[in-house]
Amino acid sequence: MWPLPDVLLHAMHFHMWLDALFKFQITGTYIVRLILEGLLIGVIYALMALGLTLIFSVLNIVSFAHGEFYMIGGYVVYAILHHYKGFPGLLAIVVAALVTFVIGAVFERLFLQPMAKGQVERPSEYAILITFGLSFFLQFVMLGIMGPFPKKAPRFWSFPKIDLGFIRTTKTTLFLGNIPLSGGRIFAAIIALLALAAVLWFMYRTWTGWALQAVSQDRNAAAVVGINPLNMNTLAFGMGAMLAGLAGAVLVTVFSWVPWVGVPASAKSFVIIVLGGMGSIPGSLVGGLILGVVESLGTGLFPDPARAQAYRDVFGLVIFALVLWLKPTGLFGRKL
Amino acid sequence: MSQNGTIRLEVRNVVKNFGGLQALAGVSFTIEGPQLVGLIGPNGAGKTTLTNIITGLLKPTKGEVWFNGRRIDPLRPYHIARLGIGRTFQVTRAFRRMTVLENMLAPGLVKHPYMSRKELEKKALEIMKFLTIDHLRYEMGSNLSGGQQKLLELARLLMLEPDLIILDEPFAGVHPKLQRTIYGYIQRVRGEGKAIILISHDMESIFTLSERLIVLNFGEVIADGPPEVVKEDPQVIEAYLGRDDEEDLI
Amino acid sequence: MKFRRIYILWALTALFLVGLIFYPRLVNLQPYWVLVGMTALFYAILASSWSLLAGYTGQFSFAHMAFMGLGTYAAGILIRDMGFAPWQATIGGVLITGVVGLIIGYLCLRLRAVYLALFTIAFAEIFRLVVKAEVKFTGGPNGLELPTYTFPGWLQNLLRTIVPFWDANVYIPAYYTMAFLFVAALLFMFLLVRSRFGIFFRAVREDEEAAAALGVHVVNTRVLAFVVSSMIAGFAGIVFHHFIGLIVPDQMQIGRMSLIIAMAVIGGSQNLIGAALGAIFIHFSLEWLQQIPLPTAVLQHLLFLNDWGFSVDLHAGVLRTNAWRMVGFGLLLMLTLRFWQNGLISPIIDWLARREAVESVAQRFQAERDMDAVDDVQAIGSQAEAGNPQEPTS
Repeated sequence: MWPLPDVLLHAMHFHMWLDALFKFQITGTYIVRLILEGLLIGVIYALMALGLTLIFSVLNIVSFAHGEFYMIGGYVVYAILHHYKGFPGLLAIVVAALVTFVIGAVFERLFLQPMAKGQVERPSEYAILITFGLSFFLQFVMLGIMGPFPKKAPRFWSFPKIDLGFIRTTKTTLFLGNIPLSGGRIFAAIIALLALAAVLWFMYRTWTGWALQAVSQDRNAAAVVGINPLNMNTLAFGMGAMLAGLAGAVLVTVFSWVPWVGVPASAKSFVIIVLGGMGSIPGSLVGGLILGVVESLGTGLFPDPARAQAYRDVFGLVIFALVLWLKPTGLFGRKL
Repeated sequence: MSQNGTIRLEVRNVVKNFGGLQALAGVSFTIEGPQLVGLIGPNGAGKTTLTNIITGLLKPTKGEVWFNGRRIDPLRPYHIARLGIGRTFQVTRAFRRMTVLENMLAPGLVKHPYMSRKELEKKALEIMKFLTIDHLRYEMGSNLSGGQQKLLELARLLMLEPDLIILDEPFAGVHPKLQRTIYGYIQRVRGEGKAIILISHDMESIFTLSERLIVLNFGEVIADGPPEVVKEDPQVIEAYLGRDDEEDLI
Repeated sequence: MKFRRIYILWALTALFLVGLIFYPRLVNLQPYWVLVGMTALFYAILASSWSLLAGYTGQFSFAHMAFMGLGTYAAGILIRDMGFAPWQATIGGVLITGVVGLIIGYLCLRLRAVYLALFTIAFAEIFRLVVKAEVKFTGGPNGLELPTYTFPGWLQNLLRTIVPFWDANVYIPAYYTMAFLFVAALLFMFLLVRSRFGIFFRAVREDEEAAAALGVHVVNTRVLAFVVSSMIAGFAGIVFHHFIGLIVPDQMQIGRMSLIIAMAVIGGSQNLIGAALGAIFIHFSLEWLQQIPLPTAVLQHLLFLNDWGFSVDLHAGVLRTNAWRMVGFGLLLMLTLRFWQNGLISPIIDWLARREAVESVAQRFQAERDMDAVDDVQAIGSQAEAGNPQEPTS
């Protein structure tokens, strides 16, 4: 017998899914828990993808180094907390945001500005390769500094003890009824929500935010009314990098960190921006949540728990390939 | 050339909508035999849209295009090109990172895949000589001036040996001396018994060159006939002279 | 006979081929360096076939390593489960890669530049993760073992007579097989890009619509490039891993892919030979740099890393020296892209191979300025005038 891959076998014997559903482990509560977990992580994905969206809408490029800013953001927090015991965690996150902003802005000035000024031949090709080169560079710089072994930042917060019957907390976990939610993720999601709110406020309520939007809609018109598109490019790339850095900074206490942790993170942001439509801010928010839930449900409901984790990233990528192929404008896309 | 030696392009009631905007509202005409047809109309009249539909870059919302007894509107652009409809673009599109000779070889190899490279190059050089760009043969496309790129595009088109040639604004932004070369080119192509659709804003040249004029306005054919007749058509005068901010008529 | 620059190119090619043949002798048959040479050739095949796809047709695929792995896994599974002999599995693996390349190539047709890059990244990652997860089928993270080739007796004897040191170490046959594959693959791709398809590839890269308007079969052209380059990648992967004996899914990770891309770009992705030489050059310089112990401790002090509490343990120290090597390489990649977009090696080859332009660019501008004085244009104009009374008299 031709040995079919187990994936195909599972797809064919879908009654296994049904069996699992009717057996003890998959209950309504379990699914609610998976959805809640997905939403929590989805908020952070949305934050990352928002950065990529910002870069795409203003500079009209996709940064292939987005995950590396995520990785650096995490490492900065780790390095600070590791070295200065008792350093306030929130401040460390702010430092991480600043560091990634500066790296992004400097890179933009040095390598992307010539493109905006038209000094580079074949700009679309250049944009792909140069950001790819940056990701290569940053990965190995961090490998050189941090080494290849997984690091995990110490936890720097704890829940106050609450018991309201339905909502209970322990030091590290929040219980909604009998659904346990990891405190680390809740904490990360809260910070991410705050950051999202701040960014949206900035984009929609400040002059600079309007200027950014103006540039993303029409560069020349924006230049005519006195906005310097080059500065907006730098700002947008720096902010995009910063948002990725923030996402990494809040997650470094949850996951363990290696120099190539940014690769799946990049892939996830690509999935989201394509799913939500390139350059659409609401699209990246909704896309982030969708991806989080899909991943969580896919992993949680996968019949073979041993392989479920290994397939975690595949679910999103499959959506991605399908969307790219069937509806390249995404859910909220403006144009290709 | 088609089997029976005639060239026949038939545009049947072609409609094209872009979202809510109607670019073409039922255009029909027939071009038969080797004639030079001028296609004119104010900006936004739908000339380029029509060209793109005939050459397959756009699909019509409604209507059909037939060429030499074959329906071509569902075909892909390269298929239509191989059937014998060649075109130039309004904005020149020379292959920038290929030498001029390689630019010429691309359509040549489409038409004659198994011809020896030497023979093909000879053929290309002959056409290039006629269009006065033979001295640039090893130059990269990106090194050419705008006018030379235009000439290259025209030369490259001949390598495909099409029956029908659609020239989209061949005179726009070209040095007056080069314009004369392009006139010469058009004469030569007509001499070879090909049909030409000439789109131009240069009224002077289009009235003198073409045997028949088709005037488009708001996506409709408002006049079709010999230049002398069309010139007098009140609708055409209205379309061009009605608003004096529009194009200059002679 | 007049001296032409192309003779230099011929001489260099001959020199390179001689070097390729005598390389194992040059390194005194040390197994390590023979292996390095073989690996360099493997990367060279991958880089130049990637440049066929990216540099010639403008399809920036990030799935090249995935195709390499796909072919290898297919061959390995054919041997393990279907009882194929290695050489049969090699053919089978290449064919399977070609079929998958055909499908992916068709799926990619609608996608432009950055979307294609994203799609192929997704494909490559899905493939790698599935291979990693399906332990029973593919061996999972521990990899899949492949038996090495056995040459038939007569060939073995023949090769022994030609190459006296054939049995000196296990990597010699591997090196020569790879070298043969390298020459064959490069020759094949070279002939392909010199044929009409080469012109079509570049026409499609430059302007797809214009190429279609000139009758170039855009679909076939793009898919052909995809299939050929993935089959060559698969072929190289199968042969290489047969000699290495094992393929692991991490061989296909994006990091490896970026190495290939970096090699092709630094060499010059517009030119097959440039990309191949870039890969060889870079692989050797990386290996050579590995011989030089980087003063990790000094570096760490310079970067104040010790103050930050990162003590150096030996194993990590070695890995870190490797990392710093790659950092330099990444920097070289970015600088190459920024300042020499056509790569470092290709422009030299192009310069040597280019025929003299009949007229230099400077002369052309002069000619354009003197346009009014040029008479042949007018001559043609008046010729046409004579032929047709309708010619306007402006």
